[in-house]
Amino acid sequence: MLGRQLPSFTRFLARTYAPKWPRPKPGTAERPPYRAPDPLINNPSATVTNLPDEELTFIHRPPPTAPSPISYTTNPVSPLLKDPTPSTSSALPPLTRPSTESSYPRLTTEQIAEIRRLRSVNPVKWTRGVLAKKFNCSQQFVALVAATKKSTRRQLIRNRDVEHEKNREQWSEKRRLVVAISQKRRQYW
Amino acid sequence: MGHVQRRLASTTAKLASSLSVAHLQKFPPKELLSVKGQEIPKSTINPEAWASLQPPPSTALSAFAHRIGLASVLTSTEITQQVCTHPSFVQLVQQHKPHDPAPVTNGQLAAIGNSLMGLFATEYVRATYPYLPTRVMKAAVTAHVGPLPCANVAQEMGATPLLRWHRSRGTLLKSGVLHSDALASIPRALTALVYNQRSLPSARKFVHSYFLSREVDLRGMIKFLDPKKALLEMVKKFVFNSSSRLLKETGRYSNTPVFVVGIFSGEDQLGEGFGSSLKMAEFRAAEDALLRVYLTRTPPHLVQFPSETFPVGLGDVFTKAPEGEYKAPQLVESEIMYASSGNSFTRSA
Repeated sequence: MLGRQLPSFTRFLARTYAPKWPRPKPGTAERPPYRAPDPLINNPSATVTNLPDEELTFIHRPPPTAPSPISYTTNPVSPLLKDPTPSTSSALPPLTRPSTESSYPRLTTEQIAEIRRLRSVNPVKWTRGVLAKKFNCSQQFVALVAATKKSTRRQLIRNRDVEHEKNREQWSEKRRLVVAISQKRRQYW
Repeated sequence: MGHVQRRLASTTAKLASSLSVAHLQKFPPKELLSVKGQEIPKSTINPEAWASLQPPPSTALSAFAHRIGLASVLTSTEITQQVCTHPSFVQLVQQHKPHDPAPVTNGQLAAIGNSLMGLFATEYVRATYPYLPTRVMKAAVTAHVGPLPCANVAQEMGATPLLRWHRSRGTLLKSGVLHSDALASIPRALTALVYNQRSLPSARKFVHSYFLSREVDLRGMIKFLDPKKALLEMVKKFVFNSSSRLLKETGRYSNTPVFVVGIFSGEDQLGEGFGSSLKMAEFRAAEDALLRVYLTRTPPHLVQFPSETFPVGLGDVFTKAPEGEYKAPQLVESEIMYASSGNSFTRSA
């Protein structure tokens, strides 16, 4: 792209950084380079204070997501320590996980008894997920209603861990590395 | 600082501090010399051990008392000497000078002072941060008046050349003595001395000015195992809901996405966090929501301590003077049990 050499007398006129030409091809996904707006100019949340004594202008521009400001008991920052605001019909930002807002129908006592029976008979076949699908409730509800005995649960978890360990031994080096990197990143959350 | 670095620092400090021989009538003293005519010298003593046995000059002790502002409490150099003598020094004296009387040490004073400092620091942290979880409060108290800050304050006061101690290794029955342990005993002894000679409010003033005015970063002490679970529990306590909402995002399918997620209860935003994945942003938002509650502090002009009921002046605290004013603050919601190590430190009946 920059293979052509400009003649020496035009070199101080032309710019070679972020060139305007060649233009992005129309009808393709090519876009002109993104030029971010300068946060120093026209910042709506900037507070400008004139200090005429020192002939200075003090401009405070808070970062886009500022950390929690200092909270006092007389004026707490957390809404948990204040009275809940009455709900208005204003639109709120979208939920991160819209699927979890689903409400399940209430189960009858017979259905709950059936869940308990199946789970006690064969917890390996009738897992929480399978039962949740069959009876149209959540997995957590099944766990609440038909929890296995601690010894059984521990045994199931141990079996699962053994199986997972066997699978992990068959991983390639690259996969191992990727997983190790993501685990390390998790530590820095 | 590791053990090796600390030892090196203390050795160099010992060598660097100049030894004054003004208290001796003749230098070199007889015990360091071998007597003429006798093939075997009278007493062999290691020069370093001899140097560590010599007392600091009285001028240095008096200057120390004035420097820390306790000249009216540390009235004589003997008291200052006692404050700067660690109990491990007794063993050294008895080893090399068995006929000399045992030196007066600061062991008892340090024990009383340690309890007092713990009391003042606990009531300060509790009154200032009423929502702080117990394990964080304990860490904050250690950060204010623990062994390390005590040793640092002693060094800042300039007590290092005045300290008389003896290093010892830890055995099965007794724990070892390091330089920082010996130094830490000095401010504790001073606190106890102020309490003995003046009153509890005066001792509190001393501890506040030297220890509780130091900056301690509480944010770094609060770590979460599962902040979303902890937040759920806390929100239940306050009878609120919680749902996470996406406030801003960019670069979702690119190499470097950024998501800003807020945790809401109805219309109120409890916390906000950013991250390179939705899960990470939610994690940080939950942390932020919890920190906003935990780090809520009482304004300094409204902070009151229970020990303010103790009157100023010597004598029986119950009959000497009327008790000071104290208005107990309203009890706040107790901390959540998740990741709080529950009842592990209490004895079950």
